[in-house]
Amino acid sequence: MAIEQSTQSNSIVDVLETVLDKGVVIAGDIRVGIADVELLTIKIRLIVASVDKAKEIGMDWWETDPFLSSKAAEQNTKELEKENEQLSKRLEQLEKNMSHNSRY
Amino acid sequence: MSELIYLYGIIPHQKEEQPFSDLIGIDGEHVLHTINFDQCATVICRVEEKNYGEKVLEEKTKDMEWVKDKAFHHHETLIKLRERTTIIPMKFCTIYQSENSLEDMVSTYAGDWVQLLDNLKGKEEWNLKIYCDRPSLREKVAEHDLTIKEKKEEIESMSKGKQYLQRKKLDQLVDEQVEKELNSFSKSFHDKLSTYCDQDVVKKTWNKDVTGKDEEMCWNSAFLLPLDQVEGFLEEVTTANNEHQHAGWKFEVTGPWPAYHFVNLSKSEV
Repeated sequence: MAIEQSTQSNSIVDVLETVLDKGVVIAGDIRVGIADVELLTIKIRLIVASVDKAKEIGMDWWETDPFLSSKAAEQNTKELEKENEQLSKRLEQLEKNMSHNSRY
Repeated sequence: MSELIYLYGIIPHQKEEQPFSDLIGIDGEHVLHTINFDQCATVICRVEEKNYGEKVLEEKTKDMEWVKDKAFHHHETLIKLRERTTIIPMKFCTIYQSENSLEDMVSTYAGDWVQLLDNLKGKEEWNLKIYCDRPSLREKVAEHDLTIKEKKEEIESMSKGKQYLQRKKLDQLVDEQVEKELNSFSKSFHDKLSTYCDQDVVKKTWNKDVTGKDEEMCWNSAFLLPLDQVEGFLEEVTTANNEHQHAGWKFEVTGPWPAYHFVNLSKSEV
């Protein structure tokens, strides 16, 4: 169901197209010129996208960056070895299944 | 340092001071409060001129991060106010120099405010956006649309040279039919929903660069609904999603919003 009720889930487009463009348009004493909503939304969406990206990687990305931390490099190798092992197992299983199937 | 007045919205005249002091203002320091006038009241927060003066704002509004944060603050504050009272939402960054000039504005528009508040009482704004999967719709139109079918048969009977040109035209015709289909489908759903509402408005659709979605937005509209109609309205949307999901349609409804789209003034000053 695509019904969203919390403020958190209101997208940037939803908010900007209403707040910047709608509401009572009445001259206050201070004149504020805000750029084109379309352009603004695109720019802001890009900022948000990069923030999300940063969160996805984790705020401590520099700690796990192999170029910046030898500890991270060590951990990285271990993870790669583990992944390698898992992949080998899956491949083995797949090959088994295939030879099993080909008998029919 | 002198202070300015940031105006969030207009609410009905208050018998007592409204307790909005739990809401923090746009500057992150001052709290919200009301200033009462004869026929209505204003919800405001004070801001320092050095931070919200015209020159400073001109610079700040170029800073996307700032605009994003403050626009969301404005929106979220109005959502909270709307939960407590009928409110006429102001556009982002409506700022006055002094209580006197705020009073001048209020007295100029007092008649409008009273009428608007009366009209908004007991109603909520809900927004509808319809998204579609254009490639799959195009495929369907190309295969099943009657006009297209006839045209195809006509082309089959032509000479090779003519066929080439006509096939190109056919592509165009398919695009036109898809556009028609998108519009009539969306419009008929909008019309169905508008039987629940008091007022409605059709808005501009945004392209994918703006929405950041995979699907294409093909309809964007807003409704002002009496409270007792909201449930029925939302049920229609749920039903439509269930019925048309497989065909690539998505109906997204958001709300309740402050009545941003239904507060046009009869004598706007713009």
